[in-house]
Amino acid sequence: MSTITAEQSNESGLARLRELWDQYLPYWLATPMVLVMLVITLFPGAYDLYLSLVEYKMSSPGSIGEFAGLSNYRTAFTEAGALKSFGVTLTFVGGALAMQTVLGFAMAALLHGVKSDRAEAFYRVVFILPMAVAPVSLATISRVMLNTEVGIIPYLVRELTPFAAPTFLSDFPLLTLMLVDTWHWTPFMFIIFYAGLSSIPDTLVEASRVDGAPLWRRYVHVILPYMKPVLFVAVLIRMIDLFRHFGLAFTLTGGGPGTATQLVSLNVYEQGFRFVDLGAAAAIAVVYLLFVIAVANVLIAKVGFEGVWE
Amino acid sequence: MAATDAERDLDAERPDTRLSKDTRERLTAIGRHAVLLAWSVVVLFPFYWIVSMSLKPAREAISLPPKWIFLPTVIHYIELAQNGEFVYAFFNTVLMVSASVILVLLIGVPAAYVLSRYDVPHQRDVLVWILSSRMLPPIAVVIPFFVIFRELNLFDTRIAMIFMYVTINISLVVWVMKAFFDGIPETLEEAANVDGATRFQAFRKVILPSAKPGIISVAIISFIFAWIELLFSLVLTNQQAATVAVQVYQFIGVRQIEWGMLAAASTAVIVPVLVFLIAVNKYLAAGLSFGVVLKE
Repeated sequence: MSTITAEQSNESGLARLRELWDQYLPYWLATPMVLVMLVITLFPGAYDLYLSLVEYKMSSPGSIGEFAGLSNYRTAFTEAGALKSFGVTLTFVGGALAMQTVLGFAMAALLHGVKSDRAEAFYRVVFILPMAVAPVSLATISRVMLNTEVGIIPYLVRELTPFAAPTFLSDFPLLTLMLVDTWHWTPFMFIIFYAGLSSIPDTLVEASRVDGAPLWRRYVHVILPYMKPVLFVAVLIRMIDLFRHFGLAFTLTGGGPGTATQLVSLNVYEQGFRFVDLGAAAAIAVVYLLFVIAVANVLIAKVGFEGVWE
Repeated sequence: MAATDAERDLDAERPDTRLSKDTRERLTAIGRHAVLLAWSVVVLFPFYWIVSMSLKPAREAISLPPKWIFLPTVIHYIELAQNGEFVYAFFNTVLMVSASVILVLLIGVPAAYVLSRYDVPHQRDVLVWILSSRMLPPIAVVIPFFVIFRELNLFDTRIAMIFMYVTINISLVVWVMKAFFDGIPETLEEAANVDGATRFQAFRKVILPSAKPGIISVAIISFIFAWIELLFSLVLTNQQAATVAVQVYQFIGVRQIEWGMLAAASTAVIVPVLVFLIAVNKYLAAGLSFGVVLKE
């Protein structure tokens, strides 16, 4: 990593290029990522911020550019129902994240104890399959299966239980959305937890067993602390993805009935493309982005990076 | 392991329980498999349902009580194969998504290596910054890009869509691969350096091959995230770069009654990823361990 000496500068141009390549290797390797990141974080963020501060209704062309102060923000939070959509999103994210984390961990722990390799391989493949389903397809499947008249699930409820079949998408739309999303993305948690559990050194578990620790204590004091980095990254990434959830809600409920399942991303879409008010849409997006970054930062600060990046 | 451990613990506390150890171990195994099988049924039933629906003649597709036994027909698939727009969008999506995965790996993997091995200033902030690209709701990303792609004549082009897919996946690639590189001991490179390899040669010939499970699993996940993406293609494409997700979405809107077609289209979108997942599922578990696997 020394400076180029006179001797080296006499060498061919190719050799010098190679020298430069080696000398600044980390910069070359990281540059494409930095460029892409600059474009995809600064540009949309700045543009949204700009849009949120100007008058911009696509219905009246040429009206863009007039500074509007904070009026878009006022519109967003008084008329456009942004507050309600924040509440809906928080409920959705919290509920779905809890279900998927618990279920994913339970299935990973149960599978981890399976002795037969063939059974283990079978379950592992089956459990990750839902990830392959596109939200559009999943919405189709769910609509057919949950439909009051033609759906198999209400039919089975009617036939096999004494209860009347609920109308899932109108009686408890948000819960239904959470459940469908849980079917869809529990595999993501499962596969990460399963890999994490498989990586726990046998000696560690063996030692606590010899100490006579009961099962739950072994989980609380040995397995979970060891799994902390894995748990943290999985929950963080899944949480962020839930915050940006769009496709399934858009195609399954479209935000309805009413605004019962109107997540923030659906609200922004509606403001921007249905009510063609890009200013209000951008205002909601800006607040939402700051909010999600804050939540993620609190989580990162609380749990800490130490366990993750030693 | 969990339940059998419980057995042994119980043994220690109550050595004279009635059931023999073998019997109890068998009982917990049965209980374990009952739960695992129950979840398998929950997972598999929708697949069975949509596939069987796509193979039923139109009248039987949604009849209740369901026809469990029926004469399968491939008429919906034939109709689908004759739908030029659908077929075009299908192969177009395969092409764009594959290209984007290769590109995101070329960009993300070397950067992750740098973050893992070099003293990057403000490393934590850099990582959070990278992750923040995934925090933007896609709808907030799509409006600015909609405007700029129009300006640059990139609206409804493959290049634009490939770029958008890269933006979805770059943070995941960097995060997962950084953790994975962290798990590979640095002594590997030191050994290569002693043998006279440059830093880059060590990265290419020693570190990359060791990181293969991580690269494969992150490629699979990236492929899936791009393949199932709807909003970007909905807003940023028209015909040229139209994706299969939009085609299925249009089936929902326009032909709500044609359940068979809808089911066939949904199945056609699921199957490629399904085959892909099953083929490489072994790597997936190893690769998504966020570096913990190799650390022990």
